[in-house]
Amino acid sequence: MTNDFILFFPVVLVSLGAIGLMLAGTCRCFRLEHAAWASGGLFGLAFLVQLSATLACDHSLYNSLFKDILVVSPFSKAAGLVILGCGLFSVCSSISYFKRNNFSGVEYYSLLLFAAAGMLLLTMTRELVTAFIALEIMSLAIYVLVGYDRDNVLSTEAVMKYLVLGAFGGAFFAMGGAFIFGAVGSTKFHLIGNFVATNGFSASPALLAGGFFIMVTLFFKAAAFPFHAWVLDVYDGASMPITGFMATALKTAIFAVFANFLLADAALQQGWVNVLFYIAILSMFMGNFIAIGQNSLKRMLAASGIVHSGYLLIGLVALGSQQQIPGSVIAYYLAAYAAGTLGIFSALSFLSGKGEQWKNFNDFKGLAKTNPYTAFAISIFLLSMAGIPPTAGFMGKLYIIIAAIKAGHVSLAVLGIVSSIIAMWYYLRLIVLMYFHEAERSFVEEYPCRVGMVSTFVLVLCVFAISLYPIAL
Amino acid sequence: MLVDLLYTCFAVFSVLGALGLIIFRHPMNGAMSFLITLISIAGLYALLSAKLLFALQLIVYAGAIMSMIVFIIMFLNIQPEELPAEKTKVIYLVGGAVAVLPVAFFLIKVIKRLPNMPISFASEGFGGVKEVGLIFFTEWLVPFEIVSILLLVALVGAVVLAGKREKNK
Repeated sequence: MTNDFILFFPVVLVSLGAIGLMLAGTCRCFRLEHAAWASGGLFGLAFLVQLSATLACDHSLYNSLFKDILVVSPFSKAAGLVILGCGLFSVCSSISYFKRNNFSGVEYYSLLLFAAAGMLLLTMTRELVTAFIALEIMSLAIYVLVGYDRDNVLSTEAVMKYLVLGAFGGAFFAMGGAFIFGAVGSTKFHLIGNFVATNGFSASPALLAGGFFIMVTLFFKAAAFPFHAWVLDVYDGASMPITGFMATALKTAIFAVFANFLLADAALQQGWVNVLFYIAILSMFMGNFIAIGQNSLKRMLAASGIVHSGYLLIGLVALGSQQQIPGSVIAYYLAAYAAGTLGIFSALSFLSGKGEQWKNFNDFKGLAKTNPYTAFAISIFLLSMAGIPPTAGFMGKLYIIIAAIKAGHVSLAVLGIVSSIIAMWYYLRLIVLMYFHEAERSFVEEYPCRVGMVSTFVLVLCVFAISLYPIAL
Repeated sequence: MLVDLLYTCFAVFSVLGALGLIIFRHPMNGAMSFLITLISIAGLYALLSAKLLFALQLIVYAGAIMSMIVFIIMFLNIQPEELPAEKTKVIYLVGGAVAVLPVAFFLIKVIKRLPNMPISFASEGFGGVKEVGLIFFTEWLVPFEIVSILLLVALVGAVVLAGKREKNK
């Protein structure tokens, strides 16, 4: 019972904190800085609680009360850690971002916590109705955060597109859930797994259609190949810290629920393996293709997010072959990717200036001359995302590719390597611009707040720490 | 069979109502058309003997939410000449229909392949207030409770996006 409480406590902490912040926001003496520090503290505390909970195997939370709906596994715990860490660093970059941009409010931090609560529930849930509601909690909070700057036309356009398409995606999820309920008579993952194990994968057309619709929604939310078009405009319109949060925490939550769904039964995963295989390849190459053509750094990162979704899909293809903890390769890749992406968005949060006026590649020419430390940090993040050896990104890619080979998908592994070589082009382009060009504008500016900078350098350490973690084990 | 006839009527009207919602130019016509959809869906619930859901659909959706939508349209007092021209509407509608067509074919194929199941009547008391309440608080406690967070997020979000905002200090 105590263990149940500790395992469930991060969700409680984050949601109660969100409600508390919302209420405190009505008080005049409660300023924005207080809200920022309070939410950062809550994320940090929840992170520590999540870290302290010990767990050896799958554990159903409050079994007699919750009826197997929330299940904590080592994988969901790791995903939760990534999400809470992303929340903490997003708060830090928001603090420095809102020193220069003036559209924040206490509700901003409250919504960030609400989104994290939805994501945590999403990683734990083993049931489709709860997954749908958690997905909507997360999505609604993110929609509002994307459109927080109401005076910005780009941001309004982004929230409109994301809201309409996201509602469409949510409808697909609900319909898929209904189909699966029609076929199986339950929406719980283990019962769906039992049904597939006894009757076979293609026994019921309703189950097939339901699985298809649910995967459409998850592909959409993860910005995988046929449903990736929204991601550029939405990332472009959202403010820097939110873009970072979306690119990392949201993706973690989606892949956690995706892996949990596929893990319901090996036959279920095997049935979808071909679809995942082609979507992984198309996501990687389409993402690279789009990223090469971008001039805006933010849009390039959005497109590279599509590529990373492709890698994570390789992880899903190889899900069955992982001997130790299921999903550990995916969780590791998510953590490695999150450290790099959050780092670069955290650096951009204080470099982009008022109203994000500097966000193109050429705006960062010669950055290394004036801000050598920041340029170094950005280079580390980019190298990690590109997958250069001593960084976390390399280890993540290595594990994914090893898992793919073990699962017998050598062609997928080779294509993954080819795609990461292509990706070098746009990651190294920024490094070349920063180091080998003369500055066109002066970067000498007073940084109004050191928090963003400190968190950026902490993330540099994280990139190396995550890469050393498997060796330390 | 009366049930089959009723089902066909409700299903057709619910789709027609939704179609009207996007085709009509004036918001008031759209709202009325949407009302048809909501009432038809209530009818479908009644056919499934989901009594509570039927009542809630009529009271909450067709009643409360609909009157709010109508009230807002009245409040804005939109005249026909104020409506946007929407010249490309037909193209988008046709394009959207073509894009969704494969999904429709897929669904029809799935439904046709479903095995024929004997129709059995729901047990006494199915879908009543007590039964639904019991299920909510025993079997489905987690989703029932987290819906409250969802509603709260929606509320905060609506206030943030649409409410009056004081400038930060």
